[in-house]
This record gives sequence, C-alpha cells and structure tokens, in this order.
Amino acid sequence: MSTGIFSSWRADVPASFVVALVALPLCLGVALASGAPLFSGLIAGAVGGIVVGLLSKSPLSVAGPAAGLTTIVFAAIERLPSFEAFLLAVMLGGLIQMLLAATRSGVLAEFVHSSVVTGMLAAIGLILIMKQVPHAFGYDGDYEGDFAFFQQDGRNTFSAMWHAVSTSISWGAVLVAVAGLAFLFWWDKNKPQTGALKFLPGPLVVVVFGVLANTLFAAGAPGLSIHPEHLVKVPVAEDLNAFLGLFSLPDFSMIGEAAVWTTALTLAIVASLESLLSVKAVDELDPKRRTTPKNWELFAQGGGNFVSGLIGGLPVTSVIVRSSANVNAKADGKLSTVLHGVWLTLGVLLIPAVLNLIPLAALAAILIHTGYKLTSPALFTKRWGQGYTQFVPFVVTILAILFTDLLVGIGIGLAVGFVFVIARNFRTAITFACDEDDCLIRARRNLYFIHKQELQRELARVPDNANLLIDLSSTNYVDLDNVDIINSFIKGAKYRNIAVTVRGDLAGRTAPLIDAPNAEEAFA
Amino acid sequence: MKESKQLLLANQAWAAELTDEDPTYFAKSVRTQRPKFLWISCPDSRVAPEVITQCSPGSMFIHRNIANQVNLDDINLMSIVQAAVETFEVPNIVVCGHYGCGGLEAALKGGTTGAYDRWLGHARQVVKDHCDEIDCHSDDEGKLNRLVEVNVRDQLINLARSEPVAAAFAAGKNLTLHGWIYDIRDGLIKPLLKINRTTDLASIDKPGRVLLPTAELEAELVA
Repeated sequence: MSTGIFSSWRADVPASFVVALVALPLCLGVALASGAPLFSGLIAGAVGGIVVGLLSKSPLSVAGPAAGLTTIVFAAIERLPSFEAFLLAVMLGGLIQMLLAATRSGVLAEFVHSSVVTGMLAAIGLILIMKQVPHAFGYDGDYEGDFAFFQQDGRNTFSAMWHAVSTSISWGAVLVAVAGLAFLFWWDKNKPQTGALKFLPGPLVVVVFGVLANTLFAAGAPGLSIHPEHLVKVPVAEDLNAFLGLFSLPDFSMIGEAAVWTTALTLAIVASLESLLSVKAVDELDPKRRTTPKNWELFAQGGGNFVSGLIGGLPVTSVIVRSSANVNAKADGKLSTVLHGVWLTLGVLLIPAVLNLIPLAALAAILIHTGYKLTSPALFTKRWGQGYTQFVPFVVTILAILFTDLLVGIGIGLAVGFVFVIARNFRTAITFACDEDDCLIRARRNLYFIHKQELQRELARVPDNANLLIDLSSTNYVDLDNVDIINSFIKGAKYRNIAVTVRGDLAGRTAPLIDAPNAEEAFA
Repeated sequence: MKESKQLLLANQAWAAELTDEDPTYFAKSVRTQRPKFLWISCPDSRVAPEVITQCSPGSMFIHRNIANQVNLDDINLMSIVQAAVETFEVPNIVVCGHYGCGGLEAALKGGTTGAYDRWLGHARQVVKDHCDEIDCHSDDEGKLNRLVEVNVRDQLINLARSEPVAAAFAAGKNLTLHGWIYDIRDGLIKPLLKINRTTDLASIDKPGRVLLPTAELEAELVA
C-alpha cells in the first residue's frame, strides 16, 4: 500500500474544498470572539492546515483556531501590552508544546475514558446543531464556532434559538438552509457510487446553491435577499502589499515579560489537552480506525503554534468540527487538511470578494449535517448497550459540555469517567482461609492502593492466638500504603498473640519492607 | 494452533515471566532443591498437586501412580521414598486419593486387561480386605467413596512400614505422613488421617467419612 501524502488524492482533494469552506467562517468567528484581528484567525487556519498537516501523522485531523481557546485568548490579549506580545506568547506556547512532546506527555491522552471521548463528540454534535440553528434562521448574534452555553451576546444556547425563530427570521436564509440540509441528507443516500460524481462533495453543491440563490433573490425577490451581515466576511486587501500588511510579527522585546510566559504556558497546556482529545476523538471517527501517535501530534501542534505566532496568527489546536467535516467529506489522508490550508490562503488572497457572497445559512446547513453525524442515535444506543459504567460518563460528559463549555465539560467528564474506571477495574484480590488457629491471608493479585479497605477488612478477620501466613507470592507489587497496613497489623499482633509469617513476592520487593519472618524459599 | 505448540509457547511465557520478576530465579533453582513434601497421588489430570495447593516449583517431590498405591515391592516408588526421606529429609509425605478415582472403580468393577489389570491386583486386595465397609453401601458412589477412603488409609500404613520411613521413625526424625483426599466436586482437600513416629500402626482405626454423598455435599454448598 502506498503511504505517500498524495496516494489518496482522489478522495482528499474534493474533501479539502469542503473543509476549507467550513473552516472559513469558523476561523473568522473564533478571531472575532477572541477580540483579535479577523485575519489572525485565517492565518491560524492556514497554518493549522499546512504546517500542522504536514508535521502531523494523523490522517484525518484538521487543526486551526479553536473555540475552546477563545476565553483564554480574549483575556490574554486584554492583559498583554500589545497583540504582538500575545503573538510572542503563542510562539513560545508552541515551543513549550514541543518540549512536552519531548517528555512524552502525549501518551497521557491514551488514558482518557472512551465514553468521555464519544460523549464529547456527541455533545459537540448537539451543540453544533443548536448553535447553527440561529445562523440557519439568519440570526448571527453569536460568533461562529462557539461551544459555550452562555454566549457573548447575553443569550444562552436555547434562548438564542428561540430568539432567532421568534424575532429575526430571514426567509431567504431559511430557504437556503433547509434546501441545503435536505439536499445533504438526500445526497448521503443517493450519491452515485461510480463515475465522476462520486467525488462531488455535497457541501460544495450547497455553498454554490446558496450563492446562486441569494444572487437570484437580489435580482428577483429582494424581500428574500440575505443581508450582507449574514454572509461570510473575509477582510479584503486592495493589493498584495496590503495583503502582506495584514500579517504581523511577534514583539520579541517582550520576552522578559512574566505575563507573556504565563500566557504561553496556559496556551500550551490547554491547547495540548484540546488537541490530544480531539485527535483521539477523530481516530474514533476514522472509518479505517487508524491510530494517531499522540506524542508526535503534540510536537506537530507545537510546530503549528510556533509558526502561527511567528506570522501573526491565533493559537491552533486540532478541532473536531472541521475534522469531522473532513471525515464526512470522505477524506482519506492528510493531503486534505494540508490542501484546506492552501485553499484558505489562496481564497483569501485571490477571491475574497467571491467568498464574501457565501451566506452563513448555507454553511449552517453543512454544520448541522455534520452535527447530526456526530450525534447519531446509534452512538447512544451503543453506549447504553455497554452498561452503566460506559453510559453514565458518556451522558454526564454530554450534559456537562452542553451546559458549561467544552473545557469545563470535558473536565467534569474526565473526573466522572475516572471514578467509573476505578470502580469497574476494581477486583477483589485477597483470600482468607482459616483452619482452627492456622490462618492464611493470600493476595491472589497485586495489592494496589484501591485494595486498602479490602486488606484491612480481611486482616480484621484473623482471630487472637492465630498463626498467620501472609502470602504475597502471587504479587509483584504491593502498594506502600498496604505495606503500612500489614506492618501496623504486625505491631498489634504481638498483643493478641498472633504469630505472623510472610511469604514474599518472587522479586523480593515487598517482603523486606515487612517486619515479619520470611517463609522459607524452595531454593536456597 | 497445535496443542503441543500451545504448551511450548505457554512455557516460553512462563519462563519469561519468572525471569522478569527475578532474573536469578533459574540460576538459583539450578543450585539445589529443598522440597518440604513428598506427594503421592493418582495421575488423574484433574488432580494437579502444585496447582491445587498453590505450590511453586521446588516445593514438592512427586510420585503418581494409578489409584495412588504404596506397594512395598514397587521399586520405582520405594526409590523415591528413599531419596525423599534420606537425601532431602522431607518432613512430610502425603498420600492423596481423590473422589471418583477411575483406577479404584476398575478395581471394584473389573473389566481391565493387561498391565493395567496386573497393577490393580494390589488395589483389589484393599477391596477384599474391606468388603464389609464397602458393600454396606447400596449405591455405586457410596461404595467407591468408601473405597477411596480406606485405600488411602491402607496405603499410608504400607508407607509407614516401608524401610526408609520405618528407619526415619526409629531414628526419631521429624517426619509426618498425611492421608488426604482431594474432592474434585468442591476443590477441597479433606484430611483423613496422620501418622508419625509415635503412632501405633496396629491400632489405627478405620477412617471417618470425609467424602459426602453428592446430594449432601450440594446441599452444604448451597447453604
């Protein structure tokens, strides 16, 4: 099998257009919400595609400016003396991420409860649908790509939907969104399996349709015409020089500023977490179920932030909405994500005026369709079928993300998931056997920290005047807390006339820590 | 995978696991052995001495023959007893019978031929010696259970009379003979009797009952 980046170009090229179209308003929306120049979002989008795409070993993950970082970025830009100082922090954050990769911190991502990962996907799907409904109705009060329950426009997810439907409905937008959505679901089922049309992405059709429809509205039915504020708004540069003027360099003189470093550290940690979770989730969405090397991904993301900061862009992370749009558009390799960065750059450079004809409602249709794919009912029934230890963390993660925001919600999900993992992984480890005065406490597997209570309970069963053998021969690890418990039992045993002998583990790690005579070895 | 291959691979894994825990494990085991037990039982595949007692390699000297017979003319067993008692000075010898012993069932019912049949001659003597004990049971299970019990008693007494053991007793050595029965129905070893140098062999009574009828055992397990 060919593994070159171009080997899957037939699938990747069409998908890359879809991802670029989806990414465009998200890049602008995140920049807007971050209180940063709009163009910095587009730079981050391009870098997320080209730089991270080239460095990463993930076949389907797409990186770019992330909604999860907006609050941090917003606060940092307010606090730091200049936007250029913030750019320095982004760059340094990238370096820190690469350092984290050097310490192999990325492997930590493998220890996330799978229900939390799928819960996150489902929640993002639901949020995507709910947050896009206002856009579909022509209300754009909230920025594109928001995940927080409480929005910056003072509304929350639900009230914004109601507001859009009740007061600011734009029939032209509704028409484009509904027709687009209907087409996408129809195309899913009826897309030709052979021929050139096989590679025609549905979302592309929806965007072209949206632009044409709005042009027709303007000509024939001005009442339906979608106002410019409901269209994509890419900064338009007059010429190449003006375009280059949109880039900015970090202010390296700020390197001694403590706030720059704290921002860099915060960005590095949060962006790493978000990227790792996102990449893990995208691996789950991959029809081929390829596994991305997580630590390497940390390095790739760090490289992305380094470059993005260097040329005036926002911080990047791996992002799920764009990645799942990528999966949905049937991309197969990382050429798609790289090209999406190229198209973003070329589009903004060459045809900004054309891009600005695209109605947000058309993009809403695409994102609602993507959201539906992420939150399919099958996901819920599958988790339900796996029992409560999978279902509860899954649902808790969804609800927590839905009613707080992505980062806090994931934090809650991780905590709950962790409790369930411990509970699910706990197995009793100790056997007690007694024949008159002779008693045996046998550890049939390792005595971990979680076995403390069991060890105390079983030791409590030993009667006074007993000959007790503590058999640790089937362990190769006894937690130090458990050693303490055994030792304090031995201290008390003197007063209860209990004689304790220990049969240690094979490697002889534990027995020397215990104050009791050792049972003899078979070979000596 | 071929069954034989599975054994070989399992062995590879076993050796790797032990070495992983203690790199000197096999180097130590080469030097010597210090078994604390000589174990005599039936070769029945369900009676796995080291498994059912959770013993590690090095703790048991083992001899197995059909129906766990201790025949003083059996040069194979006698040489093992001699090595265990004289060379390793084991403090314990176990004769362990087991529930549902196929060898003893054949001794009871007949139908055997060849070497197997000749070997069972010794066991048939036990049946003859205790026919009243055995025949008083009406059902086959009861008969066989009782035969398993009295067989262990007789073989243990034979063992006590064997030359190496008698010599060790006479020399005042610390040696105990244990008559046990392994019950494959609940996995428990049920001690039947014990002999040491102070025991008067002539006065050993018929053993108590340790193998309950299955119905009773199941009732006990439920309770």
